[in-house]
Amino acid sequence: MSAARTRRLLGRALIYAVAAFLVFLAGGPFVWMLSTSLKPPGEVFAHPPALIPAAPTLENFHRLFGQTSFLVYFRNSVLVSGLAVLLTLVVGAAGAYSLTRYRYAGREQIAVLILCTYMFAPIMIVIPFFILAKRVGVENTHLVLVLAFTSFCLPFTLWLLRAFFETIPLELEEAALVDGADRLRAVLHVVAPLALPGLIATGIFTFILAWNDYIFTRILISSDELKTLPVGVQDLFHSALIDWGLIMAAGVLITVPALVFFLAVQRQLVAGWGSGGLKG
Amino acid sequence: MRAQAEVLQVRRPTRLAQQAVGLLTIAPGLILILGLILYPVGYQVWLSLLDKHSFFPEQRFVGLDNYVYLWGDAEFWTSLWLGVIYSVSTIVLQVLLGIAAALVLHQPFRGRGLARAVVLFPYMIPTIVAVILWRWLLNDTYGLVNYVLMAWGLLREPISWLGADHIMLALVLVSVWQFMPFVLLAILARLQTIPEDLYEAAKVDGASAVRRFLHITLPHIRGILFVVVLLRSIWMFTKFDTVWLMGEGAGAGRFIRTLPVYAYMRTLTYYQAGLGAALAVIMFAILMVGTVIYFQVFRREVDIG
Repeated sequence: MSAARTRRLLGRALIYAVAAFLVFLAGGPFVWMLSTSLKPPGEVFAHPPALIPAAPTLENFHRLFGQTSFLVYFRNSVLVSGLAVLLTLVVGAAGAYSLTRYRYAGREQIAVLILCTYMFAPIMIVIPFFILAKRVGVENTHLVLVLAFTSFCLPFTLWLLRAFFETIPLELEEAALVDGADRLRAVLHVVAPLALPGLIATGIFTFILAWNDYIFTRILISSDELKTLPVGVQDLFHSALIDWGLIMAAGVLITVPALVFFLAVQRQLVAGWGSGGLKG
Repeated sequence: MRAQAEVLQVRRPTRLAQQAVGLLTIAPGLILILGLILYPVGYQVWLSLLDKHSFFPEQRFVGLDNYVYLWGDAEFWTSLWLGVIYSVSTIVLQVLLGIAAALVLHQPFRGRGLARAVVLFPYMIPTIVAVILWRWLLNDTYGLVNYVLMAWGLLREPISWLGADHIMLALVLVSVWQFMPFVLLAILARLQTIPEDLYEAAKVDGASAVRRFLHITLPHIRGILFVVVLLRSIWMFTKFDTVWLMGEGAGAGRFIRTLPVYAYMRTLTYYQAGLGAALAVIMFAILMVGTVIYFQVFRREVDIG
């Protein structure tokens, strides 16, 4: 008995040790980022480095708000990501509804075509995208960013929502139609609530993609006042001497919205279906 | 039911009108995908046959000259080679570590939910955050990594992580840290669908943990592994932002100038849009060929894609 018991205990200890190590590797850098962001300039370069700041301060955050355009970038990021989510959901839900509820020639071919575009990486699109946007005269606008993010998220959104809509029985809508509701009302009151988890998930994925994007914004936006956070912060990083306290404060603030959305969706992610829904 | 269907039939618009509504509702999505993804990709192929400045409208048809130029361009071959080193090493590490981590985080233990959340999180943050964070940790003079390695006696002198000798290693490290959670997530999701009694039965038969992994777990995760390796290969081979941001201003950036970065630079540093487009087309062609070969070699071993 005792040999088996010892082996089991050793096994448990090993699992805890490996799990703790993984958590340390994944989470440790974020703790250090937070720690640095709360240190006054003198302490940032202290030797030996200390995890807990001796004199914690919000000075880095104050300077970030007062001396840089961080708040402008933040507002732009929220605006562009929010609009991209809205447009993606409307266009995606309409398209997915069409793909599951109406019959027309080429429906299946359209679905396959859409799936194929899921494979394209931004670097393969962004150069001609930029030249075409310039020709049309919409480069350096938020509109072109919103359109870029939307079309980039659409393939996945359409496929996921199609899968969701397929699980909603047709009879429910037909019952509503029989009761005298028109098609739009039937969709809004019967289908949409049932597809809500799918709508929320695709919304969050679109938000994260738009919020995290670097390459489209770098290439399509040239005015400082239109930049979003990733590009704005990179430019902060560029300026002569690297102010690590300030940069880490910016890092903390960009991470917070991602953290909030991640915590909201985390359970469903691990539950399974979300695994195919991420890009990059 | 039949009566209900007949009622619907009466109330429903005609077949033609139905088709029209169906096409109208898919139209916005289809137009966006056709116009903003497929059209640019097609235009890229045309662009690769032109000599064109990235900002000015003048252009000249040069046929395959851009491709001929690249064939003799040492920088192209270097970037291709660096890209292969980068993709292969990050993919192998991500997949091995991802499977190992998934096996551990699949076991029941206290605090498992929190542990999973923390380990998955690096995948959710913007690349710029991952990069500034690691460039601070890997800073040669003040970085925590050098300090810890020296304090533990593993290093005698600080390593210049972003110098010519180590920048590829640093880039691989950051990329694996950032993208391993994708593999972990996919495998973990699949592990949860394997029936527990298979393992119980194997335990009763006295199968060791290694044998249980080889004969139960591995056959079950093979399908998802096939997809995960394919997607990650495509994404690592075309990875731009992590590579570009790690190399930017680091001095040794050219030692991690992979194909996507080179395509970007041709277009936006040298303003040679035609050459940049040709590089992107080559990248695309390599991916297509690679994907076909991948399917030929591995598809037969996998029942479910």
